[in-house]
Amino acid sequence: MAGEGAGRHAGLRNAVILLLVWELVGQLGIVAGGALPPPSDILIRLWQDRADYPRHIGATLWASALGFVIGNVVAIAGGILFAMSPLMLRLFRGINIAAFALPPIAIAPILALTLSGMAPRITLAALGVYFVTMTATVIGISQADSRAQDVIRAYGGTRWKVLRLVQLRSAVPSILAGLRVAAPNAVLGAILAEFGGGGRWGLGTYLLGSLGRAEPDRLWGIGLVATVIAGLSYAGFAVLSHRMLGATKAVTLNTAVPAGQPRPGHVAERIAVALVAITLPFTIWWALIRLSGAPAMIAKTPVDVFTYLFLSPASSTAQAKLLAALGQTLPITFAGMAAGLGFAFLLAIGTKLSPRATQAFMPIALVTQTMPLVALTPLLVLILGRGTSLTLWITISVTFFPAFVTLAQGISLVPRSAEELPRVYGGSRWQELRLVTIPASLPYLFAATRLTVPRALLGVMIAEWLATGRGIGNLLNQSRGYLDYGMIWSVAAVSVILSVVFFQIVVVVERRVLARLGMTTSE
Amino acid sequence: MIASLNRRQFLSTAAAGLAASALPYRAHAATSPLTMQAAWINDAEFAGYFLGLDRGYFTDAGLDLEYLSGGPDVIPESTIIAGRADLALTTPDTTIKAITEQGAPFKIIGAQYQKNPIGIVSLAKNPINEPKDLIGKTLAVPPVNVISVEAMLKMNGIDPSQVNIVPYAYDPTPLVKGEIDASLDFTTNVPFTIKQAGEDATSFLLYDFGYTIYNDTVVVTEQVLAEKRDLLVAWLAASRKAWAENLADPSVWPPKFAETHFAGTGRSIENELYFNAAQKPLMESAEGYFALTGDGIEKCLSALGEVGIVGSADMFDTSLLAEI
Repeated sequence: MAGEGAGRHAGLRNAVILLLVWELVGQLGIVAGGALPPPSDILIRLWQDRADYPRHIGATLWASALGFVIGNVVAIAGGILFAMSPLMLRLFRGINIAAFALPPIAIAPILALTLSGMAPRITLAALGVYFVTMTATVIGISQADSRAQDVIRAYGGTRWKVLRLVQLRSAVPSILAGLRVAAPNAVLGAILAEFGGGGRWGLGTYLLGSLGRAEPDRLWGIGLVATVIAGLSYAGFAVLSHRMLGATKAVTLNTAVPAGQPRPGHVAERIAVALVAITLPFTIWWALIRLSGAPAMIAKTPVDVFTYLFLSPASSTAQAKLLAALGQTLPITFAGMAAGLGFAFLLAIGTKLSPRATQAFMPIALVTQTMPLVALTPLLVLILGRGTSLTLWITISVTFFPAFVTLAQGISLVPRSAEELPRVYGGSRWQELRLVTIPASLPYLFAATRLTVPRALLGVMIAEWLATGRGIGNLLNQSRGYLDYGMIWSVAAVSVILSVVFFQIVVVVERRVLARLGMTTSE
Repeated sequence: MIASLNRRQFLSTAAAGLAASALPYRAHAATSPLTMQAAWINDAEFAGYFLGLDRGYFTDAGLDLEYLSGGPDVIPESTIIAGRADLALTTPDTTIKAITEQGAPFKIIGAQYQKNPIGIVSLAKNPINEPKDLIGKTLAVPPVNVISVEAMLKMNGIDPSQVNIVPYAYDPTPLVKGEIDASLDFTTNVPFTIKQAGEDATSFLLYDFGYTIYNDTVVVTEQVLAEKRDLLVAWLAASRKAWAENLADPSVWPPKFAETHFAGTGRSIENELYFNAAQKPLMESAEGYFALTGDGIEKCLSALGEVGIVGSADMFDTSLLAEI
């Protein structure tokens, strides 16, 4: 694999060049008057602060590890259940989409209010891993070799035997790939929950506490440590699965929410199932509040939120505030997403012309993917300030890399024979792009869009919460200060619902467009 | 029983015995648990409580005090509503707003700062010396304090829309870099940080421009007040004693917390010493630390009334302080 070797060398070389440029720029204090310190300063600072780190890292690791284990146990159990019973999969579709699409920052304050101690961090970490592993399990089980299953059945094996002897075993590679992507998610979840969660230890707490020092080198150090932890957790599972299974390369998660095949006929039954799927998340929300026993002033049920938004005397004020905030948040979310996706699309198409550049670029893309967004935002504030450009850049950066990775991988799968056809007929490079590469990459563009919808909203909300003071991220933060619990829950509910709706819109458009073009959904 | 002790049990029993004998006698007296939620991370703002914990003043008063650190994203009132703490140190504006608008069952039983230490901090080379100077400038304000700043602006005849208010993450870097013109922060703290960054700071208190409110008000829920009144009085008495000792010479105690209470915050002890000295005049009162005087309550309420937070004197309960 000479090509891969060259790509790896190029990646290393680019990383070294990047570090050198960074060092130079930092030493000269070019960016924002020294807000971007050189790597050497950051390392020196890390060494000076070394006594502070162990307990902060310990707390974050503990919460992420526990959340990782709990989330994955639930996810694998759920995955098995869903793979065995298409009906359950359809009933839980609402829950599963919500688990994928919800911006964790929207529910972090709610968890901090209703749970205590480490529980909010563990819960958010668990939520971060659930979807990835669940999907990986369902796919792994349902893609098991049907001939091996037939053998078991032919010898009189039960459904359980088939699951245990064939399906679970063949699902292992898929599950391991899921765990690999899930691990950094757990770290991000745990750190996010430290926002608003209080407590004395944790990297997020340390980061927030250190914002007041005018010491960018320390902020960068904390961000770097968080990135290294997330990256190591990814690498750990990558090595594990490599050892066990050999090389498989999926750097992004599968975003196709598995859908149970609806049975033909029985319209009434299908509607009933869909209704349950939509109401189930709200029922669970309601049940959790009832079970938690949290004070009614803090813990709001779906009914309370509806009352707050539509039936109470203050409803019109609340609605006005919420709509104004959405009016600030949504346009910039869409603009950032469009820019990020468009840029990724152009670059991915472009790299078709030079595949080596893609491979050299991949390590950088991977690092930025695993860097916890919360650690990145304060650093970008130092460089970009607190205006609209900050929000836009954060949104672009969180959407661009995953979209680029998805697209570049998809495009590399275009069959050679299809590419060669225009060439044989004397077509130009451009015609080849127009007739083959671009249409072939459409399914991956949709997959990338599905992947980036929740990330974009999360990115915008974090920027608003921490920096710009606009939109629903700020409304969420400010409502905490005003003890306006109805508004906190409303913002959380609305942002989750919006995320789910946008996700569904993309799914529907995707199906229509791809069906017209005679293509299938990419996973 | 003795015969069945294995080695591990023996060791742990022996260790417990040793530990117990090493403790002063007061540890044996029955103590009742009480949890307090601080308003910020462990810094000199809470030095008095750390002193009280280390010197055993709370234990002496019959309290087994659990201290919860705060932080930029902790809303102390939420902690007591959720029942995770018995008392919280809060800003009176958010507390009274929560009582009037959300029906929160709060009572204020004391005030750590007689004068709110928050103020507008700017650089000496681009000074903002009074509210008027803020017009057309960019001011960074923590989301929790936006209502305080808008109050002060209105009191000085300035429409808040004339000032570009952006969220403040308690990072003076943007101020030092000139990205913002001023920030709202603790005048007891941030001038030191700015000096460390090589600039000179100037500041004024919101208190001195009409926003005459307390800060770090001691807040409890009505339920806790009814059930744990004795413990709250004991807490006030022990805290008053501890603060008096800490502020008698502000340079003595902060270094002693370097490896314990202040560990892991990343702040220097010089910073805490500056803070401890700066906060002294803001806490002192003729009626003793934590005082709630009739005049002070009236000033606090009238300042809040200016911004539509209409509180009343019955939101304060001065009887606990009277019992000390």
